[in-house]
Amino acid sequence: MDPSEVEFLSEKETVTIIPNFSLDKIYLIGGDLGPFNPGLPVDVPVWLALNLKQRQKCRIVPPDWMDVVKLEQIRDQERKEETFAPIPSPYYMELTKLLLNHASDNIPKADEIRTLVKDIWDTRVAKLRLSADSFISLQEAHAKLDNLTLMEINTTRMFLLDSLNCMYKLRSNMQPGSSATRSQDY
Amino acid sequence: MDVQSYMPVQPGVGMEENFLSLDDILLSQERLPCRTETTFPRLGFLEKSSDTRDIPEGSKMEMPLWLAKGLYERKRRVLSVELPKVYREGWRTVFSADPTVVDLHKMGPYYYGLGSQLLHFQNPENPEIAQAVLQTFIGRFRRTMDSAQNAYNEDTSALVEPLDSLERALFRVGQGGLNAFQRWETGSASRLTASSLVLNYRKRKITDLQD
Repeated sequence: MDPSEVEFLSEKETVTIIPNFSLDKIYLIGGDLGPFNPGLPVDVPVWLALNLKQRQKCRIVPPDWMDVVKLEQIRDQERKEETFAPIPSPYYMELTKLLLNHASDNIPKADEIRTLVKDIWDTRVAKLRLSADSFISLQEAHAKLDNLTLMEINTTRMFLLDSLNCMYKLRSNMQPGSSATRSQDY
Repeated sequence: MDVQSYMPVQPGVGMEENFLSLDDILLSQERLPCRTETTFPRLGFLEKSSDTRDIPEGSKMEMPLWLAKGLYERKRRVLSVELPKVYREGWRTVFSADPTVVDLHKMGPYYYGLGSQLLHFQNPENPEIAQAVLQTFIGRFRRTMDSAQNAYNEDTSALVEPLDSLERALFRVGQGGLNAFQRWETGSASRLTASSLVLNYRKRKITDLQD
């Protein structure tokens, strides 16, 4: 899975916009949107919000977690805890990137937010690496990772799965009388 | 991204090798020290050092893994296989001391694969070999992971050099994940660029074609 495909999924998240045009309710295959009235907030998927923004038809209201104070709290909690802390949005990385790249004029303190989110990401990825290492060295066979987001899983998934696969095979070598040994004995 | 339509058969890693895996075919060419337990009539040409017609019983020779595996039988002793020195006790102690300092490419390059394949030969040290191979993999995992995930846009030849072929494959996979993420983050994934093939392609002059 490519990061752009993860981004594709993240564009289904809803975000509030303030349109500057009026339009009746539209009936899309995945749900109805609108009606749109100038100055009145309305929830739309991110992909539509970004498109309207690029056409200068709306103003995007940043999600409430996209705030310097809240992100600082999350970052500090993330650094304190040994496991993965709950994260405000399952697509925090993608939404930050998309919204800051296309609508940074609607988001206060965009640069600070970018830095904070990057910090959170780095902390979590370092943690992920650490836990992958102890997972391997303790030769565990299962793990529960509730608070990881799809993008984080996706950057390391192939590597971790391939490594675990190798480790599983090397481990099953140690069971004497496995099918491989018997097939030699005609 | 670049491998989607090209899916080579992966190596089998464990005791079963994958028939069509090119890595496993190369692995099966690795030479093993063997001792014949019967006479091999009219096969003297295999041994370059002597010019006898038969291979006598008890002669020491090196055989590729595939041949040794085919000839080896538990009941009828045709030949006995000795351990290559990397899998013997001395080296196993070195590996258990610190697996990361060993250059597995020089020792291998199919250290894990060959170690698993050696278990076919009913060696009394089999459990120790399997354990040593597994522990080596675990001990080196952290380094493979760290170097793969911190190596964005830099020369990786020094990092890759001491890795076993299996670890190299893992390294490439890990780096692929990192690279894909970085490309996405910097936005270069959505930008259209000319393929490196096209950039290197020099237009042929009409005069070249006429020659």
